[in-house]
Amino acid sequence: METIQPTLRIGRTVWDKINMPEVEFQKRIDKIKQEMKKEGIDVLLLYGHAFNDYGNPCYVSNFIIRLPRGTIVVVTQDGELELMFEGSSRGVPFAKTTTWLKDVRACGDISKEIVKYLKEKDFIPSTTGFAGLRQLMPYNQFQLLFKSLDQCKIVDVNHIIRDMRMVKSQRECDQIRRSSRIVSHTFDVISDTVFSNMNERILEAHIFKAARLEGAGDIRVLIAKPLKAKWALRPVEDTAISAGDSIIIYLAVEFERYWSERIRTFIVKDSSLVKPEFETAETLYKRIMKRIKPGKTVSQFYKEAIGEIEKSHAEYIPEYGLGHGIGLNLQEPPVIAEVDTNQLKEGMCFTLRLTIKDTTIGAAMVGNTINLSKKGPEILTN
Amino acid sequence: MNDNDVKLNKAIELLNQRGLDGLIIYSSGTCSIMRPSYLHYFSELRPFGPNNAIIISKSGDITLLVEPPWDSIRASEKSWVSDTRGTSDFLRDLTSIMQELKITGSVGVVGSREMKHDIYNSIKKEANVEITDDIIEEIAREKTQKEIDIIRKTAQIADVGFEALLKYARVGIREYELVAEMEFAMRCAGANEIFLLMSSGKHNYEMHEPTERRLAEGDIIIGEFSPVYEGQFIQLCRTIVLGKPSPILIEKYNILIHALDESLKQIKPGVPASSISMAMNKVIGEAGYAKYCYPPYMRARGHGFGVGSIAPGAALNDDNKMIIERHQVLVAHPNQYIPETGYLACGDPVLVTDTDFERLTETEMKLYAKEV
Repeated sequence: METIQPTLRIGRTVWDKINMPEVEFQKRIDKIKQEMKKEGIDVLLLYGHAFNDYGNPCYVSNFIIRLPRGTIVVVTQDGELELMFEGSSRGVPFAKTTTWLKDVRACGDISKEIVKYLKEKDFIPSTTGFAGLRQLMPYNQFQLLFKSLDQCKIVDVNHIIRDMRMVKSQRECDQIRRSSRIVSHTFDVISDTVFSNMNERILEAHIFKAARLEGAGDIRVLIAKPLKAKWALRPVEDTAISAGDSIIIYLAVEFERYWSERIRTFIVKDSSLVKPEFETAETLYKRIMKRIKPGKTVSQFYKEAIGEIEKSHAEYIPEYGLGHGIGLNLQEPPVIAEVDTNQLKEGMCFTLRLTIKDTTIGAAMVGNTINLSKKGPEILTN
Repeated sequence: MNDNDVKLNKAIELLNQRGLDGLIIYSSGTCSIMRPSYLHYFSELRPFGPNNAIIISKSGDITLLVEPPWDSIRASEKSWVSDTRGTSDFLRDLTSIMQELKITGSVGVVGSREMKHDIYNSIKKEANVEITDDIIEEIAREKTQKEIDIIRKTAQIADVGFEALLKYARVGIREYELVAEMEFAMRCAGANEIFLLMSSGKHNYEMHEPTERRLAEGDIIIGEFSPVYEGQFIQLCRTIVLGKPSPILIEKYNILIHALDESLKQIKPGVPASSISMAMNKVIGEAGYAKYCYPPYMRARGHGFGVGSIAPGAALNDDNKMIIERHQVLVAHPNQYIPETGYLACGDPVLVTDTDFERLTETEMKLYAKEV
């Protein structure tokens, strides 16, 4: 789901070496190096940007940038890994407390810094793999980098890291389970709170506080009032929440780099948020979930889900989709859509959403983060 | 003529003066303390999707294009631009609007630093691109009463944030819990967003994101607290001691307060921004810490803040020769590493007036001590 990115990530920032030990990163690096060898890549540049797309460099470093700027991890066949981020050099000591990488550089413009580094290390000319650069890097930096590497053979190798990130390790699933716990706890807090003068901004403030106190690094909230003639999910406003309103709340939380999301629909009774009866949406959601099976293509699952919706005669609202992968990015592959030919596999974590029209409350929206485990699909955000 | 008509007319006048067929004001949905939010300023919509643009033709047609498509409902409610469209294929629809508005010769692009390669190239295929951030910077020079009101409200929120810090800073609370309390207070007071760096300890080296560290007696807590309201940042920098401050800490903090006072005396329309930094560095240098006034210890002595323009710039330092103008908002901060005490935070936001400046926040400038 598209949400407002913060201007600075102000939540708990640590590297918990028990939750995510160095050996986990070493395994990933070994696999990446094998893939690099297969594809004849001398040096691989893993690029990430801001708070929605930090996944690639974070996957091998655990590093997350504090400002909406760029990060690169350089992987070579033989040398140490190098982490570069855009920011001031005063930030390096703190950055080193959040990553296992020893070589960490701060810089003003990451494209210039990477060119300098590749020259220093004699990687011009070389076969250089790009992951995330073409898609995420600001054009002026990308142009400079591309021109400066005109003696190099540039190979787009997004698929290497994308395929690895799509299927989560046990530790990654555990991290998503932890962020899911915060999401669920936060919903419990707001469901149990009696608000006086309830207003969207105050509600959001309570959501942020509840999640932050549990250790959330980044938090995203959207709200909708589906009884309005024209409605959509949106950031909160200074608008009152009144008895009789129906409200959809979207909440995503990042804990130690990993995301989870949940969506629930409420009605406002007195000064509390109450879960309405909408059996159709919940029953339908369960039926769709049963269709999730390892080995199926995502496209096949999508068609079956749409088939279930049609069978139920519910009026489906397609704007928000059925979901997508979740992990280091709030949105990542696979995307639950007809065109996605990826196969569902054990270890995948994704969001599953359903939005349908409802005559009483306008619309009902349900969403969860799901882990596809050996036992089948498990809702992590219940 | 309302404020938005004035903005639009000025934009049309400037793009025609430059021989441009049109103007694209772009946003990738991010908001940075170091950069203006041009699209937010011009449209009054805080963008959040991955791609958003205002497209203006030289004859005055204007369209706001937002991604994801469902955000068009909010966009049409929040923005004064009447032709608001949602898209799930930004490149296709942007180029199609350019064709519709006959933008084929040269196009001015504002906010290009946020553009990805494919978007920039697609625009370039349709028209010659000129980077024209200065068009919006020019329009944003004069602030409206509404903007001044937003600045004042943001400053009040910063005061609320500091009150919460004073209230909740105590032995045993973790850094991230303290930040959660400050954030809660500022959001309840109206903040849309918070920029907050802090550190705690007996000897701090820099400000950073909050960790799990528990506050202890004798800790020095430093922070830059910057709420954002309607795209406007305001920053307050303060230092609190948990317990009785040492005489040396009091002595060194007084140097910073003196440096701040001296630097503020420089602020008036017509003088270069470097005078702020130079006055600060002079006081701190004369106290024996000249080496610590420059990188790698110090980078900037403050920043400009604004929605359409952050003039006099993202870094107030000795090299910044931008001229200070009326209605600019800036923070002057002699935040300083001092070997005897560690890094200390001290800074106030000000609004430049016709003759000098006005302090925007109410929080008293002093070294705060909290009994434990």
